[in-house]
Amino acid sequence: MIIKKMSLPRRMVLRGLGAAVSLPLLDAMVPALSAFSRTAANSARRFGVVYVPNGMAMEHWTPTAEGSAFSLTPILQPLASFQDQMTVVSGLRGYWTPAHAGASTTFLTGAAGVAGETAPVADTSMDQILAREWSQDTELTSLQLAIDSRANAGQCSGGHSCVYTNTICWRSRTTPLPMENNPRVVFEQMFGDSGSTDPEVRRARMLRDRSILDSVTEKVTDLRREVGHADSLKIDEYLEGVRDIERRIRRVEQQQNYDVPEVAQPEGIPATFAEHVRLMFDLQVLAHQVDLTRVSTFMLGREVSSRTYTEIGVPDAHHPLSHHEYKADKIALMAKINAYHTSLFAEYLTKLRATPDGEGSLLDNMLLLFGCGMSDSNAHSPLDLPVLLVGGCGGQLEGGRHLRYENDPLMPNLLVTLMDKLGVPVERLGKSDGRLTLGGLTGV
Amino acid sequence: MANTGTNVRLSIGLGLVLALGAVDRVAAQRVDRSASGASVSTREMLDRFCVRCHNERTRTAGLTLDTMDLAQVYGDAERWEKVVTKLRAQTMPPGGSPRPDEATYQIVASWLETEIDAVALTNPEPGRGETFHRLNRAEYHAVIRDLLAVDVDVAELLPADNTYEHGFDNNGDLLSISPDLVSRYLSAARRISRLAVGIAPVGPTVATYRVHPALLQDDRQHEGLSFGSRGGVAVNHYFPVDGEYTIKIRLHRNFSDYILGFSAPQELDVRVDGELITRFSVGDADALGQMAPLSFSGNIAGGPDWEYYMNTGDAALEVRFPMKAGRRLVGVSFVRRHAELEGALQPRNRGYGRFVDERYDDHASVEQVAIGGPYAVSGPGDTASRRAIFVCQPPVLAGGGDDEVASCARRILGRLARRAYRRPVTDDEIETLMDFFETGYESGFDDGVQFALERLLVDPDFLFRVERDPPGVAPDTPFQLSDLELASRLSFFLWSSLPDEELLALAERGQLSAPEVFEQQTRRLLADPKAHALVDNFVSQWLRLRNLDSQQRESAEYPEFDENLREAFRRETELFVASTIREDRSLLELLSANYTFVNERLARHYGIPGVYGDRFRRVVIDNDHPRGGLLGHGGLLMVTSHPNRTSPVLRGKWLLETLLGAPPPEPPPNIPGLPDRGEGGEPASVRDRLERHRANPVCASCHAPMDPLGFALENFDAIGGWRAHSEAGLPIDSSGTMPSGVQFEGPAGLRNVLLGRGHEFAGAVSEKLLAYAVGRGLEYYDRPTVRQILRDAAADDYRWSSIVLGIVKSAPFQWRRSPSAVTTQVVSATPQQ
Repeated sequence: MIIKKMSLPRRMVLRGLGAAVSLPLLDAMVPALSAFSRTAANSARRFGVVYVPNGMAMEHWTPTAEGSAFSLTPILQPLASFQDQMTVVSGLRGYWTPAHAGASTTFLTGAAGVAGETAPVADTSMDQILAREWSQDTELTSLQLAIDSRANAGQCSGGHSCVYTNTICWRSRTTPLPMENNPRVVFEQMFGDSGSTDPEVRRARMLRDRSILDSVTEKVTDLRREVGHADSLKIDEYLEGVRDIERRIRRVEQQQNYDVPEVAQPEGIPATFAEHVRLMFDLQVLAHQVDLTRVSTFMLGREVSSRTYTEIGVPDAHHPLSHHEYKADKIALMAKINAYHTSLFAEYLTKLRATPDGEGSLLDNMLLLFGCGMSDSNAHSPLDLPVLLVGGCGGQLEGGRHLRYENDPLMPNLLVTLMDKLGVPVERLGKSDGRLTLGGLTGV
Repeated sequence: MANTGTNVRLSIGLGLVLALGAVDRVAAQRVDRSASGASVSTREMLDRFCVRCHNERTRTAGLTLDTMDLAQVYGDAERWEKVVTKLRAQTMPPGGSPRPDEATYQIVASWLETEIDAVALTNPEPGRGETFHRLNRAEYHAVIRDLLAVDVDVAELLPADNTYEHGFDNNGDLLSISPDLVSRYLSAARRISRLAVGIAPVGPTVATYRVHPALLQDDRQHEGLSFGSRGGVAVNHYFPVDGEYTIKIRLHRNFSDYILGFSAPQELDVRVDGELITRFSVGDADALGQMAPLSFSGNIAGGPDWEYYMNTGDAALEVRFPMKAGRRLVGVSFVRRHAELEGALQPRNRGYGRFVDERYDDHASVEQVAIGGPYAVSGPGDTASRRAIFVCQPPVLAGGGDDEVASCARRILGRLARRAYRRPVTDDEIETLMDFFETGYESGFDDGVQFALERLLVDPDFLFRVERDPPGVAPDTPFQLSDLELASRLSFFLWSSLPDEELLALAERGQLSAPEVFEQQTRRLLADPKAHALVDNFVSQWLRLRNLDSQQRESAEYPEFDENLREAFRRETELFVASTIREDRSLLELLSANYTFVNERLARHYGIPGVYGDRFRRVVIDNDHPRGGLLGHGGLLMVTSHPNRTSPVLRGKWLLETLLGAPPPEPPPNIPGLPDRGEGGEPASVRDRLERHRANPVCASCHAPMDPLGFALENFDAIGGWRAHSEAGLPIDSSGTMPSGVQFEGPAGLRNVLLGRGHEFAGAVSEKLLAYAVGRGLEYYDRPTVRQILRDAAADDYRWSSIVLGIVKSAPFQWRRSPSAVTTQVVSATPQQ
């Protein structure tokens, strides 16, 4: 891998136990990591999302048989060794009208955005509800990661702001969260950027930050009073951001001894797609492993992505290809991209399974939601979405099944049901209008 | 027909109105009002061509054109403006339906516009816009540069900002703040303040500059590298303090990890600001033993010493040296050998081919340069930043003098805060900063200033442009912005940065809004080199040039594509548009210019003879040559193509959106695919297939005005090269027919069509520029403003300055509307938090 060849600017030791490890966590190091285990006896539940753009080659995704005796389709084949821990969910309907922008926006919010050049609106996304609920226990509320940069012009969809296609995470109805694509920045979000290996330096840094934040809070509060409610949205966001960091500082002060392997900071965005994806997955493994956060979301591509995949023999741009006009050769290429994505996802799952967490592994405690908010990309269809659940969710989720729902229940109904499983029941999510039955394990 | 007679009479009357334009508006209104026949004719036209779909019963697109009142056009301006757009672009009625003639389209559209504008003129609607307008990333970068004289790599510090589909990343609605962003601002504030003050980083860091493998390094690479050099890279690096630094170089390798060109001896220079730091002599691996074969490399190894050196020989390319603080040009390049052939005789079509090339006898080339440090810090140095910050020095601390220390700090911080907040600062605000100074001062004066600066850089008054409603303003009422707010609007529009001293001082004295002063300041800012921000931030987004970086061209179709070409594309468009702004040319020259800017690489791509070297220069284009004007710019042709083929549809869409301001509606889902073959089963060209697609009236309504525009550019391939045959090997047919029946052929024909619609083109640019200037999406009520700007600019041949002046003098730029009474009540009812 190229990243091995990169010069590593500095090494961070955060209260290291054991061996030095450099990112990405190569397969060879997984045994080294097994030496760690979190001290907490009871394991927490975790939530992870992996979003893939531009719909799915459905004929190569959906298993024919339902129930437990289903055989894997070409796109699901890379996940073979996880079959007993996964549930393929068919028949769900996305709540959206505008293509692409709606697909990404509703995936976790269950609500569609609005067209035109107005302030973006959707609804709080599922991951953020969990993040808020669990934030008392972890330093970071959540991680939002992506592969694509946001720096592009005019390549969005349906007259919607590009924000709808660039993110799936919404902190509130009106605050979309940016998804970070630079591994170095993610690393700094996780471990700080004090540039020092000394915990004392980091603590001193936090004290300085706190004094700045206190002072800023005062000023923002004044400003807020001055301008009145109608105009205060942006400044409220700022205040909320400040409070989030303050919360994190308090958290670090309270709990000073978590164990982190010695990790070298990644330098920037790797040269190839696969390396980039692996590194982002590794960062997520690490974040869960040291319990920095329990919620992570990841977009393998922004919605309407036009990436080409020459490395697997697909020189066509993804989005134009997804309008395949139902031609078998084009659908086959599309399926190739889809299977490439699941194969990278499988590598992530392998690492999660190999990383101990509490009584079991990270995979045992985690609930992973993989899929897309659009099924047939040629028709921009919101019906029969490609959705996959993996992981044990702390014993709450039984795997090895293909569930098909009749009468097109809404995707957010699944999200509400999953919230039950994750122990954070909610009345509704976006436009949800009920709950689903997940095989033997009905929503609580 | 009786109808025709009315139209003729009307067209004379309205021609007069339009010709009078801004000159005699009162008279124009009178003419307009007296043209009582107009509404009759408009009514007839609507009834005849439109109400079949747009009526009370069907309400297609929410338009009830059968009952909408032509006596009250302004009262329903929002819907009428939609009608005007469709009429101007002639996209309605849909293909296949009967259409009005060209003249009727224009007359009815003009009549509706005049009706609306007559009221709008006396009752301008400024809109409101965002009260807290966060600096976007580009603005943050420029502000830091102008405030502290540090040029930071802002892409490393902050995330990119979102845009609307046809909008800009300075739209206040979208500039939101997340917790992550707050923490990025904190982090950026610390790094920048330390850099500016000259406080050494906690430990040495390494900045790595990478060179794309498809950037060919056969020639002198950069203006900043010496003559007689070949390849390598020149980077602007900021050395934070006086101290020792290292430079470590890694070279490109082939498939099997052999360093390219290492068979032969190589000399590699490292220079900082032109001064030679060291010269490495490396390579000559063939002297060490048996070489590996040129093909089968990796399968059949060379001798062990040869192998080892070919894999690791660049490990020695590291040098440590003392350097003074500041921004410096670091150049790493090879020494050109005398017998080396130059330019045209070298093999060229290697671009992406290099990724799959097993040969290792290529030019040696630099893969990355890593600059580490500082080690052995010797002092903060004397940098532009320190000179900008430390306008006074504290007395030597020999006991006492605390007052003098504080007064110096106060002076430094007061000055910075005034510029950073873009207004006079209060004593309270300075005291806040002084608290931080006091804390930092425990470690020294510089540390005190640094900590206060760190605080200042996350202040909401720094990060946001706050526009406050004047006290006591009535609800829902337009009011004029203060001089200080106007100063910021002007400088952020033209410079993407804060006001300079002259502008700020004028605003503080309340003199800026005087019309002659304001115009003079606008012209001054526009002439300043900082106005290049318009190219970097407006033009790059308007033309989608920003998407150039994300264009992938790794496919076998374009082996000649390399990074040098990509970079040249960007430079061509930037230099070209910048020159039209600098020389205050007509906007129409963007299309009609008979010149462009090229270097050797680009000239070769375009088939322009006699251009050598990496330097860009202006060249005049022969009449029969397809270049010159934006339509021939390779970069724009590339961003409107697919990775492996051209798309007349994408190009047509781009032309409609960006150059004509008439974006086609979004395609419906489940579009029937293009038929693969002709009706007789014979292979069909894209043109034939699209023609059959347009036979479907639903498809035709969007494609009829879109596709012909794109077809005219089909002679340009997906990397903007000229071609006679398509990807499928069929001869190119670049002719097109617009729905109006206008026919044209090739880029030259298209150019004439667009120039014939010059007013619309200028309108599209003005509209985009206004949206960019006010940092919000435009609404229907902004359209009268756009038309006013255009009318005024038409008299001045649509020069850049006439458009810019029209914008900055307009109501949306100078005024805001206060919130409605309902909101105000809510405010007063909200308990203080």
